[in-house]
Amino acid sequence: MSWVQAATFVGDQGEQGEVFDEEADESLLVQREWRSHMQRRVKEGYRDGLEAGKAVTLQQGFNQGYKEGAEVIINYGQLRGTLSALLSWCHLHDNSSTLIGKINNLLDAVGQCEECVLKHLKSVTPQPHVVDLLDSIQDMDLCHVVPAEKESDKAKDERLCENNAELNKKCNKSLDCSSSQCGREHTRSENPSLSWILEQTASLVKQLGVSVDILQHLKQL
Amino acid sequence: MAGDQDPFDAIVMADDRFHGEGYQEGYEEGSSLGIIEGRQHGTLHGAKIGSEIGCYQGFAFAWRCLLHGRATEKDSKKMKVLESLIGMIQKFPYDDPTYAKLHDDLDRIRGRFKQLCSLLNVQPDFKISVEGSGLSF
Repeated sequence: MSWVQAATFVGDQGEQGEVFDEEADESLLVQREWRSHMQRRVKEGYRDGLEAGKAVTLQQGFNQGYKEGAEVIINYGQLRGTLSALLSWCHLHDNSSTLIGKINNLLDAVGQCEECVLKHLKSVTPQPHVVDLLDSIQDMDLCHVVPAEKESDKAKDERLCENNAELNKKCNKSLDCSSSQCGREHTRSENPSLSWILEQTASLVKQLGVSVDILQHLKQL
Repeated sequence: MAGDQDPFDAIVMADDRFHGEGYQEGYEEGSSLGIIEGRQHGTLHGAKIGSEIGCYQGFAFAWRCLLHGRATEKDSKKMKVLESLIGMIQKFPYDDPTYAKLHDDLDRIRGRFKQLCSLLNVQPDFKISVEGSGLSF
């Protein structure tokens, strides 16, 4: 605890000062030691704070992500379940193997779609709040129209990137497509395949002679 | 030591102050890190359960339609189990990880689903490929 000595030494340069041979050098050394000690204290504090902050928000983040993941993926699950029901129906009624093959292909396609969406969901790390984005965009004075929350018939999963994409779309009018926006365009292009799956499923249902009501619960997709 | 301020106090205060400054900064950083990390884990778990519940739901709804057209007397048992499964799924808060009876209810849904499949005499393959599939938390 030499810095304690130094503090008293600085505080009252009395008899204790005489203990040191070279006062100047000694105090420089002590100063350096004091500084490094305080830097260490800052680092320790940072580490403690980091852990405490993380502990507080980890569960919150988990809950948010859980809700998001469940809400998006349940739609794909429903489609998958519906196709599986049709498949089992075909097996029971000895339907033609071409139809069975078709359903199997569609099931695989749903799986691919689902994987893409999940990958995208995971990569959306620090999801910016729409309000923040709007604020900064307004600050930049790029968009004059605030996008209204529109209920579209697009896939529910799109809603996540919709916030971003919606803004990008608007901004693209006044801005050239930057590389990051092009990246997002790519993820958007996966959606047509989902609508394609739905179309194919609908025509399949007709071929099976089943009422299209069977797809009614998939309306959200 | 007769100084105005006890040097030991000054040292301890400075010690706390530096620690506190670091703490504050770390806390803010940790808070946003926690959200990100938690979210990543949560998304995966939520997706798994959403996928599973969605499958049961889609399957049950579709079969309800399929049976509805040609419901005979012997189908009444199937319909009963089917309706019970749909009811269980609709009551299940699939997007809430804090739901206390999550595992119990999930097991009951799985059981009812299996019962339905054996009544229908089908073995559906959902082809779930979502990492590892099934729940492991």
